[in-house]
Amino acid sequence: MARVKARVKTSSLGVKIFLYIFMALMAVFILGPLFWLGIHAFVTNWTYPNLYPDGWTFHWWTRVFDDSALETAIRNSLIISPIVVIASMVICLPAAYAAGRMNYPGRRIFLIGMFAANSFPKIGLFASIATLYYALNLMGTFLGVVIIQLLGTIIYMTWIPAAAFAAVPRNLEEAARDAGASKFRVFRTITLRLAMPGILVAVVMSFLASFDEAQGSYLVGAPQIFTMPTEMYSLVQNYPIQVAAVFSLLLAFPSVLLITLARKHIIGGQLAEGFQIK
Amino acid sequence: MASVNTEAKAENLEVKSTSRSSVLGFFMAAPPMLLVVCFVGIPILIALTFSLGFTSGPNRVVSIIGQEIHKKDHWWGTFAAYKDVFKDSRFPGDLRTTLVVSFLSTFLTLLMALGIGLYQRIMGGRIAAIMTTLCLVPLFVPVVISSWAIHTFYAGDGFMRSLLSHFGINFPTVTSTVSAIVIGSVWTSLPFAILMVTSGLQSIPDALIETAQDAGAGFFRIVRTVLIPLAITPIVIAGTFTAIGIMGSFTIPLFLGPNQPTMLGVEISNFFGAYNRPQQSIVMAFIVFTAASGIALIYIWANVKSAKQSGRI
Repeated sequence: MARVKARVKTSSLGVKIFLYIFMALMAVFILGPLFWLGIHAFVTNWTYPNLYPDGWTFHWWTRVFDDSALETAIRNSLIISPIVVIASMVICLPAAYAAGRMNYPGRRIFLIGMFAANSFPKIGLFASIATLYYALNLMGTFLGVVIIQLLGTIIYMTWIPAAAFAAVPRNLEEAARDAGASKFRVFRTITLRLAMPGILVAVVMSFLASFDEAQGSYLVGAPQIFTMPTEMYSLVQNYPIQVAAVFSLLLAFPSVLLITLARKHIIGGQLAEGFQIK
Repeated sequence: MASVNTEAKAENLEVKSTSRSSVLGFFMAAPPMLLVVCFVGIPILIALTFSLGFTSGPNRVVSIIGQEIHKKDHWWGTFAAYKDVFKDSRFPGDLRTTLVVSFLSTFLTLLMALGIGLYQRIMGGRIAAIMTTLCLVPLFVPVVISSWAIHTFYAGDGFMRSLLSHFGINFPTVTSTVSAIVIGSVWTSLPFAILMVTSGLQSIPDALIETAQDAGAGFFRIVRTVLIPLAITPIVIAGTFTAIGIMGSFTIPLFLGPNQPTMLGVEISNFFGAYNRPQQSIVMAFIVFTAASGIALIYIWANVKSAKQSGRI
Protein backbone atom coordinates (compact mmCIF):
# COMPACT_ATOMS: atom_id res chain seq x y z
CA MET A 1 0.00 0.00 0.00
CA ALA A 2 2.81 2.36 0.93
CA ARG A 3 4.44 1.81 -2.42
CA VAL A 4 1.20 2.33 -4.26
CA LYS A 5 0.78 5.64 -2.53
CA ALA A 6 4.36 6.75 -3.06
CA ARG A 7 4.21 6.19 -6.78
CA VAL A 8 1.15 8.30 -7.35
CA LYS A 9 2.12 10.98 -4.82
CA THR A 10 5.00 11.95 -7.07
CA SER A 11 2.38 13.05 -9.58
CA SER A 12 2.31 16.65 -10.61
CA LEU A 13 1.10 19.74 -8.80
CA GLY A 14 -1.54 20.05 -11.48
CA VAL A 15 -3.26 16.88 -10.31
CA LYS A 16 -3.25 18.18 -6.76
CA ILE A 17 -4.81 21.49 -7.74
CA PHE A 18 -7.41 19.63 -9.77
CA LEU A 19 -8.24 17.52 -6.71
CA TYR A 20 -8.69 20.53 -4.47
CA ILE A 21 -10.94 22.20 -7.00
CA PHE A 22 -12.94 19.00 -7.35
CA MET A 23 -13.27 18.75 -3.57
CA ALA A 24 -14.42 22.36 -3.32
CA LEU A 25 -17.02 21.78 -6.02
CA MET A 26 -18.25 18.65 -4.26
CA ALA A 27 -18.55 20.60 -1.02
CA VAL A 28 -20.63 23.27 -2.75
CA PHE A 29 -22.72 20.64 -4.51
CA ILE A 30 -23.52 18.67 -1.35
CA LEU A 31 -23.39 21.15 1.51
CA GLY A 32 -24.35 24.31 -0.38
CA PRO A 33 -28.10 23.67 -0.59
CA LEU A 34 -28.25 22.61 3.08
CA PHE A 35 -26.44 25.72 4.33
CA TRP A 36 -28.44 27.96 2.04
CA LEU A 37 -31.72 26.63 3.41
CA GLY A 38 -30.39 26.47 6.99
CA ILE A 39 -29.35 30.13 7.02
CA HIS A 40 -32.84 31.13 5.91
CA ALA A 41 -34.18 29.97 9.27
CA PHE A 42 -32.55 33.02 10.87
CA VAL A 43 -33.05 35.80 8.35
CA THR A 44 -35.72 38.46 8.09
CA ASN A 45 -35.53 38.70 4.31
CA TRP A 46 -33.02 38.12 1.56
CA THR A 47 -32.96 40.40 -1.45
CA TYR A 48 -31.61 39.03 -4.69
CA PRO A 49 -28.74 39.19 -5.62
CA ASN A 50 -27.20 40.24 -2.29
CA LEU A 51 -24.79 37.82 -0.68
CA TYR A 52 -25.91 38.91 2.79
CA PRO A 53 -29.42 38.74 4.20
CA ASP A 54 -31.25 41.96 5.06
CA GLY A 55 -31.27 41.12 8.79
CA TRP A 56 -31.24 38.39 11.41
CA THR A 57 -34.16 37.16 13.54
CA PHE A 58 -35.55 34.28 15.62
CA HIS A 59 -39.05 35.28 14.71
CA TRP A 60 -39.68 32.20 12.50
CA TRP A 61 -38.81 29.81 15.32
CA THR A 62 -41.47 31.22 17.63
CA ARG A 63 -43.87 31.12 14.71
CA VAL A 64 -43.27 27.37 14.22
CA PHE A 65 -43.64 26.61 17.93
CA ASP A 66 -46.77 28.74 18.23
CA ASP A 67 -48.46 26.99 15.34
CA SER A 68 -50.44 24.10 16.79
CA ALA A 69 -50.58 22.18 13.49
CA LEU A 70 -46.80 22.18 13.22
CA GLU A 71 -46.47 21.20 16.86
CA THR A 72 -48.87 18.28 16.38
CA ALA A 73 -46.84 17.12 13.40
CA ILE A 74 -43.66 17.18 15.46
CA ARG A 75 -45.32 15.22 18.24
CA ASN A 76 -46.79 12.67 15.82
CA SER A 77 -43.41 12.07 14.25
CA LEU A 78 -41.71 11.62 17.60
CA ILE A 79 -44.35 9.10 18.69
CA ILE A 80 -44.79 7.16 15.46
CA SER A 81 -41.15 6.60 14.50
CA PRO A 82 -40.04 4.85 17.72
CA ILE A 83 -43.13 2.64 17.57
CA VAL A 84 -42.32 1.74 13.98
CA VAL A 85 -38.71 0.90 14.81
CA ILE A 86 -39.65 -1.28 17.78
CA ALA A 87 -42.36 -3.08 15.81
CA SER A 88 -39.91 -3.57 12.97
CA MET A 89 -37.33 -5.07 15.36
CA VAL A 90 -39.86 -7.46 16.86
CA ILE A 91 -41.11 -8.58 13.46
CA CYS A 92 -37.86 -8.65 11.51
CA LEU A 93 -34.96 -9.51 13.80
CA PRO A 94 -35.95 -13.18 14.31
CA ALA A 95 -36.33 -13.43 10.54
CA ALA A 96 -32.93 -11.80 10.07
CA TYR A 97 -31.42 -14.35 12.45
CA ALA A 98 -33.06 -17.16 10.53
CA ALA A 99 -31.93 -15.78 7.18
CA GLY A 100 -28.37 -15.33 8.45
CA ARG A 101 -27.94 -18.57 10.38
CA MET A 102 -30.39 -21.20 9.28
CA ASN A 103 -31.14 -22.90 6.06
CA TYR A 104 -34.84 -23.20 5.62
CA PRO A 105 -36.96 -23.78 2.55
CA GLY A 106 -37.48 -20.59 0.61
CA ARG A 107 -34.68 -18.64 2.30
CA ARG A 108 -33.36 -17.19 -0.93
CA ILE A 109 -36.89 -16.54 -2.17
CA PHE A 110 -37.48 -14.67 1.09
CA LEU A 111 -34.51 -12.36 0.52
CA ILE A 112 -35.26 -11.81 -3.16
CA GLY A 113 -38.95 -11.35 -2.40
CA MET A 114 -38.07 -8.54 -0.01
CA PHE A 115 -36.10 -6.96 -2.80
CA ALA A 116 -38.79 -7.42 -5.45
CA ALA A 117 -41.26 -5.73 -3.14
CA ASN A 118 -38.83 -2.83 -3.03
CA SER A 119 -38.73 -2.40 -6.82
CA PHE A 120 -42.42 -1.63 -7.25
CA PRO A 121 -42.64 2.17 -7.40
CA LYS A 122 -43.53 3.34 -3.90
CA ILE A 123 -46.09 5.87 -5.03
CA GLY A 124 -47.82 3.20 -7.16
CA LEU A 125 -47.88 0.85 -4.19
CA PHE A 126 -49.41 3.52 -1.98
CA ALA A 127 -52.09 4.12 -4.59
CA SER A 128 -52.75 0.35 -4.72
CA ILE A 129 -52.77 0.04 -0.95
CA ALA A 130 -55.56 2.60 -0.69
CA THR A 131 -58.06 -0.07 -1.81
CA LEU A 132 -57.01 -2.40 0.99
CA TYR A 133 -56.92 0.43 3.51
CA TYR A 134 -60.49 1.43 2.74
CA ALA A 135 -61.57 -2.18 3.17
CA LEU A 136 -59.74 -2.54 6.50
CA ASN A 137 -60.76 0.93 7.73
CA LEU A 138 -57.12 1.94 8.11
CA MET A 139 -57.36 5.16 6.09
CA GLY A 140 -56.45 8.19 8.19
CA THR A 141 -55.65 6.11 11.26
CA PHE A 142 -52.58 5.97 13.44
CA LEU A 143 -52.15 2.24 12.78
CA GLY A 144 -52.40 2.84 9.05
CA VAL A 145 -49.50 5.28 9.10
CA VAL A 146 -47.46 2.94 11.31
CA ILE A 147 -47.94 0.05 8.86
CA ILE A 148 -47.02 2.19 5.85
CA GLN A 149 -43.80 3.30 7.53
CA LEU A 150 -43.10 -0.23 8.75
CA LEU A 151 -43.04 -1.46 5.15
CA GLY A 152 -40.16 0.88 4.36
CA THR A 153 -38.06 -0.39 7.26
CA ILE A 154 -38.35 -4.12 6.52
CA ILE A 155 -35.60 -4.21 3.93
CA TYR A 156 -33.12 -2.60 6.35
CA MET A 157 -34.19 -4.58 9.38
CA THR A 158 -33.97 -7.97 7.65
CA TRP A 159 -30.99 -7.62 5.33
CA ILE A 160 -28.41 -5.79 7.42
CA PRO A 161 -28.82 -7.84 10.64
CA ALA A 162 -28.98 -11.04 8.54
CA ALA A 163 -25.50 -10.31 7.20
CA ALA A 164 -24.31 -9.38 10.69
CA PHE A 165 -25.65 -12.63 12.20
CA ALA A 166 -24.11 -14.64 9.38
CA ALA A 167 -20.71 -13.06 10.04
CA VAL A 168 -20.53 -14.16 13.70
CA PRO A 169 -17.89 -16.93 13.82
CA ARG A 170 -19.46 -20.26 14.77
CA ASN A 171 -16.34 -21.55 16.50
CA LEU A 172 -16.55 -18.75 19.07
CA GLU A 173 -20.04 -19.88 20.01
CA GLU A 174 -19.01 -23.51 20.09
CA ALA A 175 -16.05 -22.68 22.33
CA ALA A 176 -18.37 -20.88 24.74
CA ARG A 177 -20.76 -23.85 24.70
CA ASP A 178 -17.84 -26.19 25.45
CA ALA A 179 -16.86 -23.96 28.35
CA GLY A 180 -20.29 -24.63 29.79
CA ALA A 181 -22.27 -21.51 28.85
CA SER A 182 -25.98 -22.01 28.34
CA LYS A 183 -27.48 -21.57 24.90
CA PHE A 184 -29.18 -18.35 25.90
CA ARG A 185 -26.01 -16.99 27.45
CA VAL A 186 -24.00 -17.73 24.31
CA PHE A 187 -26.63 -15.95 22.25
CA ARG A 188 -26.70 -12.95 24.55
CA THR A 189 -23.00 -12.50 25.20
CA ILE A 190 -21.51 -13.61 21.89
CA THR A 191 -23.92 -13.80 18.96
CA LEU A 192 -25.94 -10.74 19.86
CA ARG A 193 -22.94 -8.69 20.94
CA LEU A 194 -20.99 -9.38 17.76
CA ALA A 195 -24.02 -8.71 15.58
CA MET A 196 -24.79 -5.50 17.49
CA PRO A 197 -23.11 -3.04 15.10
CA GLY A 198 -25.19 -4.44 12.25
CA ILE A 199 -28.37 -4.24 14.29
CA LEU A 200 -27.51 -0.69 15.33
CA VAL A 201 -27.06 0.37 11.71
CA ALA A 202 -30.38 -1.29 10.86
CA VAL A 203 -32.09 0.56 13.71
CA VAL A 204 -30.65 3.90 12.61
CA MET A 205 -31.56 3.34 8.97
CA SER A 206 -35.06 2.17 9.93
CA PHE A 207 -35.62 5.15 12.18
CA LEU A 208 -34.55 7.53 9.42
CA ALA A 209 -36.66 5.66 6.85
CA SER A 210 -39.68 5.95 9.12
CA PHE A 211 -39.01 9.49 10.31
CA ASP A 212 -38.43 10.73 6.75
CA GLU A 213 -41.21 8.79 5.04
CA ALA A 214 -43.48 11.28 3.34
CA GLN A 215 -45.37 9.95 0.31
CA GLY A 216 -47.12 7.00 1.95
CA SER A 217 -47.87 8.74 5.22
CA TYR A 218 -49.37 11.62 3.28
CA LEU A 219 -51.54 9.40 1.12
CA VAL A 220 -52.98 7.34 3.98
CA GLY A 221 -52.60 9.78 6.87
CA ALA A 222 -53.76 13.14 5.53
CA PRO A 223 -55.82 15.01 6.45
CA GLN A 224 -56.24 13.34 9.87
CA ILE A 225 -52.65 12.54 10.73
CA PHE A 226 -49.73 14.73 9.74
CA THR A 227 -46.12 13.87 10.45
CA MET A 228 -43.22 16.29 10.05
CA PRO A 229 -42.33 15.29 6.47
CA THR A 230 -45.95 15.31 5.31
CA GLU A 231 -46.41 18.71 6.92
CA MET A 232 -43.49 19.86 4.76
CA TYR A 233 -45.56 19.33 1.60
CA SER A 234 -48.13 21.89 2.66
CA LEU A 235 -45.54 24.03 4.41
CA VAL A 236 -43.47 24.75 1.30
CA GLN A 237 -46.60 25.79 -0.55
CA ASN A 238 -48.31 27.89 2.10
CA TYR A 239 -45.60 29.44 4.27
CA PRO A 240 -42.60 31.70 3.59
CA ILE A 241 -39.34 29.91 2.90
CA GLN A 242 -38.00 30.82 6.36
CA VAL A 243 -40.64 28.70 8.10
CA ALA A 244 -39.79 25.73 5.89
CA ALA A 245 -36.15 26.32 6.78
CA VAL A 246 -36.85 26.23 10.53
CA PHE A 247 -38.90 23.10 10.09
CA SER A 248 -36.13 21.52 8.01
CA LEU A 249 -33.60 22.14 10.76
CA LEU A 250 -35.93 20.54 13.31
CA LEU A 251 -36.52 17.60 10.99
CA ALA A 252 -32.79 17.15 10.36
CA PHE A 253 -31.91 17.24 14.05
CA PRO A 254 -32.50 13.54 14.86
CA SER A 255 -30.57 12.58 11.76
CA VAL A 256 -27.54 14.60 12.77
CA LEU A 257 -27.75 13.05 16.22
CA LEU A 258 -27.82 9.56 14.75
CA ILE A 259 -24.99 10.23 12.29
CA THR A 260 -22.62 10.67 15.20
CA LEU A 261 -23.91 7.48 16.80
CA ALA A 262 -23.61 5.08 13.91
CA ARG A 263 -21.20 6.77 11.52
CA LYS A 264 -18.33 4.41 12.24
CA HIS A 265 -20.33 1.25 11.59
CA ILE A 266 -22.07 2.55 8.52
CA ILE A 267 -18.79 3.54 6.92
CA GLY A 268 -17.31 0.31 8.29
CA GLY A 269 -19.32 -1.62 5.75
CA GLN A 270 -22.27 -2.96 7.77
CA LEU A 271 -24.70 -1.29 5.43
CA ALA A 272 -22.97 -2.39 2.23
CA GLU A 273 -22.55 -5.93 3.57
CA GLY A 274 -26.27 -6.23 4.15
CA PHE A 275 -27.21 -5.45 0.57
CA GLN A 276 -25.58 -8.51 -0.94
CA ILE A 277 -27.74 -11.60 -0.93
CA LYS A 278 -25.82 -14.62 0.30
CA MET B 1 -18.84 -51.77 14.27
CA ALA B 2 -19.58 -49.68 17.32
CA SER B 3 -17.91 -46.62 15.82
CA VAL B 4 -19.90 -46.94 12.61
CA ASN B 5 -23.00 -47.10 14.70
CA THR B 6 -22.25 -43.89 16.61
CA GLU B 7 -21.31 -42.15 13.38
CA ALA B 8 -24.61 -43.12 11.87
CA LYS B 9 -26.37 -41.98 14.99
CA ALA B 10 -24.57 -38.65 14.92
CA GLU B 11 -25.49 -38.18 11.28
CA ASN B 12 -29.06 -39.06 12.02
CA LEU B 13 -29.11 -36.55 14.84
CA GLU B 14 -27.70 -33.84 12.62
CA VAL B 15 -30.33 -34.47 9.97
CA LYS B 16 -33.00 -34.25 12.62
CA SER B 17 -31.66 -31.03 14.06
CA THR B 18 -31.30 -29.37 10.64
CA SER B 19 -34.84 -30.30 9.68
CA ARG B 20 -36.07 -28.97 12.99
CA SER B 21 -34.10 -25.76 12.59
CA SER B 22 -35.39 -25.40 9.04
CA VAL B 23 -38.97 -25.53 10.27
CA LEU B 24 -38.11 -23.09 13.04
CA GLY B 25 -36.29 -20.86 10.54
CA PHE B 26 -39.32 -20.82 8.32
CA PHE B 27 -41.55 -19.70 11.18
CA MET B 28 -39.07 -17.05 12.28
CA ALA B 29 -38.98 -15.68 8.75
CA ALA B 30 -42.75 -15.72 8.45
CA PRO B 31 -43.78 -12.42 10.15
CA PRO B 32 -42.04 -9.94 7.80
CA MET B 33 -42.93 -12.21 4.89
CA LEU B 34 -46.60 -12.10 5.89
CA LEU B 35 -46.48 -8.34 6.30
CA VAL B 36 -45.02 -7.93 2.81
CA VAL B 37 -47.48 -10.39 1.30
CA CYS B 38 -50.47 -8.65 2.94
CA PHE B 39 -49.49 -5.04 2.40
CA VAL B 40 -47.37 -5.23 -0.76
CA GLY B 41 -48.10 -8.48 -2.61
CA ILE B 42 -51.87 -8.55 -2.30
CA PRO B 43 -52.40 -4.82 -3.01
CA ILE B 44 -50.25 -5.14 -6.13
CA LEU B 45 -52.24 -8.18 -7.31
CA ILE B 46 -55.55 -6.43 -6.63
CA ALA B 47 -54.21 -3.39 -8.48
CA LEU B 48 -53.28 -5.60 -11.43
CA THR B 49 -56.83 -6.93 -11.67
CA PHE B 50 -58.12 -3.37 -11.37
CA SER B 51 -55.90 -2.17 -14.22
CA LEU B 52 -57.35 -4.99 -16.35
CA GLY B 53 -60.91 -3.85 -15.68
CA PHE B 54 -62.01 -6.06 -12.77
CA THR B 55 -64.18 -3.52 -11.00
CA SER B 56 -66.04 -5.65 -8.46
CA GLY B 57 -64.96 -7.10 -5.13
CA PRO B 58 -62.16 -5.13 -3.48
CA ASN B 59 -62.07 -2.73 -6.44
CA ARG B 60 -65.71 -1.70 -6.05
CA VAL B 61 -65.20 1.45 -3.99
CA VAL B 62 -62.38 2.86 -6.09
CA SER B 63 -64.35 2.06 -9.27
CA ILE B 64 -67.31 4.08 -8.03
CA ILE B 65 -65.21 7.06 -6.95
CA GLY B 66 -62.87 7.12 -9.96
CA GLN B 67 -63.56 8.52 -13.40
CA GLU B 68 -63.03 6.95 -16.84
CA ILE B 69 -63.07 3.44 -15.42
CA HIS B 70 -62.98 0.66 -17.99
CA LYS B 71 -64.85 -2.53 -17.20
CA LYS B 72 -63.60 -5.87 -18.51
CA ASP B 73 -65.13 -7.13 -21.74
CA HIS B 74 -63.33 -10.49 -21.91
CA TRP B 75 -62.93 -13.18 -19.29
CA TRP B 76 -59.34 -11.99 -18.73
CA GLY B 77 -60.22 -8.32 -18.63
CA THR B 78 -59.45 -5.46 -20.99
CA PHE B 79 -56.47 -3.42 -22.06
CA ALA B 80 -58.54 -0.26 -22.46
CA ALA B 81 -56.86 1.54 -19.55
CA TYR B 82 -53.44 0.62 -20.94
CA LYS B 83 -54.50 1.98 -24.33
CA ASP B 84 -55.66 5.18 -22.62
CA VAL B 85 -52.24 5.70 -21.11
CA PHE B 86 -50.29 4.91 -24.27
CA LYS B 87 -52.54 7.23 -26.29
CA ASP B 88 -52.26 10.07 -23.78
CA SER B 89 -50.30 12.91 -25.39
CA ARG B 90 -48.26 13.51 -22.24
CA PHE B 91 -47.24 9.92 -21.72
CA PRO B 92 -44.37 9.65 -24.25
CA GLY B 93 -42.73 12.75 -22.78
CA ASP B 94 -43.19 11.51 -19.23
CA LEU B 95 -41.80 8.08 -20.04
CA ARG B 96 -38.85 9.57 -21.87
CA THR B 97 -38.13 11.94 -18.96
CA THR B 98 -38.33 9.06 -16.49
CA LEU B 99 -35.96 6.85 -18.46
CA VAL B 100 -33.50 9.64 -19.34
CA VAL B 101 -33.37 10.95 -15.77
CA SER B 102 -32.95 7.44 -14.34
CA PHE B 103 -30.22 6.52 -16.79
CA LEU B 104 -28.34 9.82 -16.62
CA SER B 105 -28.53 10.10 -12.82
CA THR B 106 -27.43 6.50 -12.31
CA PHE B 107 -24.55 7.00 -14.73
CA LEU B 108 -23.38 10.20 -13.03
CA THR B 109 -23.81 8.72 -9.55
CA LEU B 110 -21.76 5.65 -10.43
CA LEU B 111 -19.13 7.78 -12.13
CA MET B 112 -18.70 9.97 -9.06
CA ALA B 113 -18.83 7.02 -6.66
CA LEU B 114 -16.24 5.14 -8.71
CA GLY B 115 -14.01 8.18 -9.06
CA ILE B 116 -14.01 8.88 -5.34
CA GLY B 117 -13.91 5.19 -4.39
CA LEU B 118 -10.95 4.42 -6.68
CA TYR B 119 -9.10 7.51 -5.54
CA GLN B 120 -9.64 6.50 -1.93
CA ARG B 121 -8.54 2.92 -2.60
CA ILE B 122 -5.34 3.81 -4.41
CA MET B 123 -4.28 7.07 -2.77
CA GLY B 124 -5.97 6.99 0.62
CA GLY B 125 -5.19 9.99 2.79
CA ARG B 126 -7.01 13.01 4.13
CA ILE B 127 -8.58 14.34 0.95
CA ALA B 128 -10.11 10.95 0.20
CA ALA B 129 -11.48 10.63 3.73
CA ILE B 130 -13.02 14.11 3.62
CA MET B 131 -14.61 13.45 0.25
CA THR B 132 -16.11 10.12 1.31
CA THR B 133 -17.55 11.63 4.49
CA LEU B 134 -18.92 14.55 2.48
CA CYS B 135 -20.72 12.18 0.15
CA LEU B 136 -22.39 10.41 3.08
CA VAL B 137 -24.10 13.58 4.32
CA PRO B 138 -27.19 13.15 2.07
CA LEU B 139 -27.89 9.79 3.71
CA PHE B 140 -28.99 11.64 6.82
CA VAL B 141 -31.09 14.33 5.23
CA PRO B 142 -34.77 13.58 4.61
CA VAL B 143 -35.63 13.72 0.92
CA VAL B 144 -38.30 16.36 1.53
CA ILE B 145 -35.70 18.69 2.99
CA SER B 146 -32.96 18.02 0.48
CA SER B 147 -35.32 18.50 -2.48
CA TRP B 148 -36.52 21.77 -1.03
CA ALA B 149 -32.96 22.87 -0.21
CA ILE B 150 -31.81 22.14 -3.75
CA HIS B 151 -34.92 23.88 -5.05
CA THR B 152 -34.04 27.12 -3.26
CA PHE B 153 -30.31 26.81 -3.99
CA TYR B 154 -30.73 26.75 -7.78
CA ALA B 155 -33.86 28.93 -7.91
CA GLY B 156 -34.14 32.28 -9.65
CA ASP B 157 -33.16 34.09 -6.43
CA GLY B 158 -31.00 31.23 -5.17
CA PHE B 159 -27.38 31.10 -4.15
CA MET B 160 -25.90 30.07 -7.48
CA ARG B 161 -27.46 32.96 -9.37
CA SER B 162 -26.75 35.43 -6.56
CA LEU B 163 -23.09 34.49 -6.30
CA LEU B 164 -22.33 34.33 -9.99
CA SER B 165 -24.18 37.54 -10.81
CA HIS B 166 -21.46 39.33 -8.81
CA PHE B 167 -18.96 38.02 -11.34
CA GLY B 168 -21.14 39.13 -14.20
CA ILE B 169 -22.19 35.58 -15.03
CA ASN B 170 -25.87 34.99 -15.69
CA PHE B 171 -26.26 31.49 -14.23
CA PRO B 172 -29.43 29.83 -15.53
CA THR B 173 -32.32 29.03 -13.21
CA VAL B 174 -32.00 25.27 -12.87
CA THR B 175 -35.00 24.73 -10.60
CA SER B 176 -38.07 23.41 -12.43
CA THR B 177 -36.07 21.82 -15.22
CA VAL B 178 -35.18 18.20 -15.91
CA SER B 179 -31.56 19.02 -15.03
CA ALA B 180 -32.69 19.88 -11.50
CA ILE B 181 -34.25 16.41 -11.16
CA VAL B 182 -30.92 14.89 -12.20
CA ILE B 183 -29.05 17.07 -9.66
CA GLY B 184 -31.46 16.07 -6.90
CA SER B 185 -31.35 12.39 -7.84
CA VAL B 186 -27.55 12.28 -7.89
CA TRP B 187 -27.45 14.18 -4.60
CA THR B 188 -29.67 11.69 -2.80
CA SER B 189 -28.26 8.55 -4.45
CA LEU B 190 -24.58 9.30 -3.87
CA PRO B 191 -24.17 7.93 -0.29
CA PHE B 192 -25.49 4.46 -1.00
CA ALA B 193 -23.44 4.15 -4.19
CA ILE B 194 -20.28 5.33 -2.40
CA LEU B 195 -20.81 2.85 0.44
CA MET B 196 -21.29 -0.07 -1.91
CA VAL B 197 -18.41 0.84 -4.21
CA THR B 198 -15.87 1.58 -1.47
CA SER B 199 -16.74 -1.58 0.45
CA GLY B 200 -16.24 -3.58 -2.76
CA LEU B 201 -12.92 -1.90 -3.52
CA GLN B 202 -11.64 -2.23 0.04
CA SER B 203 -12.01 -6.02 -0.07
CA ILE B 204 -9.46 -6.26 -2.93
CA PRO B 205 -6.07 -7.20 -1.47
CA ASP B 206 -3.21 -4.70 -1.79
CA ALA B 207 -0.96 -7.45 -3.09
CA LEU B 208 -2.98 -7.74 -6.29
CA ILE B 209 -2.62 -4.04 -7.05
CA GLU B 210 1.09 -4.08 -6.27
CA THR B 211 1.70 -7.13 -8.45
CA ALA B 212 -0.01 -5.42 -11.34
CA GLN B 213 2.14 -2.34 -10.79
CA ASP B 214 5.30 -4.43 -10.67
CA ALA B 215 4.27 -5.94 -13.98
CA GLY B 216 4.29 -2.40 -15.34
CA ALA B 217 0.56 -1.66 -15.47
CA GLY B 218 -0.40 2.02 -15.28
CA PHE B 219 -3.15 3.58 -13.18
CA PHE B 220 -5.96 3.23 -15.71
CA ARG B 221 -4.91 -0.27 -16.68
CA ILE B 222 -5.03 -1.38 -13.04
CA VAL B 223 -8.43 0.21 -12.63
CA ARG B 224 -9.74 -1.41 -15.79
CA THR B 225 -8.27 -4.88 -15.46
CA VAL B 226 -8.00 -5.42 -11.70
CA LEU B 227 -10.12 -3.13 -9.55
CA ILE B 228 -13.35 -2.87 -11.55
CA PRO B 229 -13.64 -6.57 -12.49
CA LEU B 230 -13.06 -7.61 -8.89
CA ALA B 231 -15.55 -5.12 -7.47
CA ILE B 232 -18.13 -5.52 -10.21
CA THR B 233 -20.84 -7.11 -8.01
CA PRO B 234 -21.15 -4.23 -5.51
CA ILE B 235 -20.89 -1.78 -8.41
CA VAL B 236 -23.78 -3.49 -10.19
CA ILE B 237 -25.80 -3.61 -6.96
CA ALA B 238 -25.17 0.11 -6.42
CA GLY B 239 -26.26 0.86 -9.99
CA THR B 240 -29.44 -1.22 -9.92
CA PHE B 241 -30.59 0.10 -6.54
CA THR B 242 -29.93 3.65 -7.65
CA ALA B 243 -31.77 3.22 -10.94
CA ILE B 244 -34.80 1.53 -9.35
CA GLY B 245 -35.01 4.16 -6.63
CA ILE B 246 -34.83 7.05 -9.08
CA MET B 247 -37.29 5.49 -11.52
CA GLY B 248 -40.06 5.40 -8.93
CA SER B 249 -39.15 8.65 -7.20
CA PHE B 250 -41.82 11.19 -6.40
CA THR B 251 -40.68 13.94 -4.07
CA ILE B 252 -37.60 14.96 -6.07
CA PRO B 253 -39.35 15.41 -9.44
CA LEU B 254 -42.31 17.03 -7.64
CA PHE B 255 -40.20 19.73 -5.99
CA LEU B 256 -37.49 20.11 -8.61
CA GLY B 257 -38.92 19.17 -11.99
CA PRO B 258 -40.99 21.05 -14.54
CA ASN B 259 -44.78 20.66 -14.65
CA GLN B 260 -44.64 19.06 -18.07
CA PRO B 261 -43.12 16.68 -18.96
CA THR B 262 -42.46 15.20 -15.56
CA MET B 263 -41.50 11.80 -14.20
CA LEU B 264 -44.05 8.99 -13.99
CA GLY B 265 -43.88 8.97 -10.17
CA VAL B 266 -45.46 12.43 -10.09
CA GLU B 267 -47.89 11.52 -12.85
CA ILE B 268 -49.05 8.40 -10.94
CA SER B 269 -49.88 10.66 -8.01
CA ASN B 270 -51.56 13.27 -10.25
CA PHE B 271 -53.72 10.70 -12.00
CA PHE B 272 -54.68 9.08 -8.70
CA GLY B 273 -55.42 12.28 -6.82
CA ALA B 274 -55.89 15.45 -8.86
CA TYR B 275 -57.29 13.90 -12.09
CA ASN B 276 -59.19 11.14 -10.27
CA ARG B 277 -58.30 8.52 -12.88
CA PRO B 278 -57.09 5.71 -10.58
CA GLN B 279 -57.10 3.00 -13.25
CA GLN B 280 -54.69 4.91 -15.50
CA SER B 281 -52.57 5.74 -12.47
CA ILE B 282 -52.20 2.04 -11.63
CA VAL B 283 -51.35 1.26 -15.26
CA MET B 284 -48.46 3.73 -15.06
CA ALA B 285 -47.27 2.13 -11.83
CA PHE B 286 -47.10 -1.21 -13.65
CA ILE B 287 -45.18 0.34 -16.52
CA VAL B 288 -42.57 1.67 -14.06
CA PHE B 289 -42.61 -1.69 -12.28
CA THR B 290 -41.91 -3.52 -15.55
CA ALA B 291 -38.91 -1.31 -16.26
CA ALA B 292 -37.68 -1.65 -12.68
CA SER B 293 -38.07 -5.44 -12.84
CA GLY B 294 -35.74 -5.54 -15.82
CA ILE B 295 -33.14 -3.75 -13.72
CA ALA B 296 -33.89 -5.98 -10.73
CA LEU B 297 -32.99 -9.01 -12.86
CA ILE B 298 -29.52 -7.55 -13.39
CA TYR B 299 -29.22 -7.21 -9.63
CA ILE B 300 -30.20 -10.81 -8.99
CA TRP B 301 -27.83 -11.97 -11.74
CA ALA B 302 -24.96 -10.08 -10.09
CA ASN B 303 -25.74 -11.65 -6.72
CA VAL B 304 -25.96 -15.16 -8.10
CA LYS B 305 -22.70 -14.64 -9.97
CA SER B 306 -20.89 -13.50 -6.85
CA ALA B 307 -22.38 -16.38 -4.84
CA LYS B 308 -21.09 -18.83 -7.46
CA GLN B 309 -17.64 -17.28 -7.43
CA SER B 310 -17.29 -17.61 -3.69
CA GLY B 311 -18.62 -21.16 -3.87
CA ARG B 312 -21.84 -20.63 -1.95
CA ILE B 313 -23.97 -22.23 -4.66
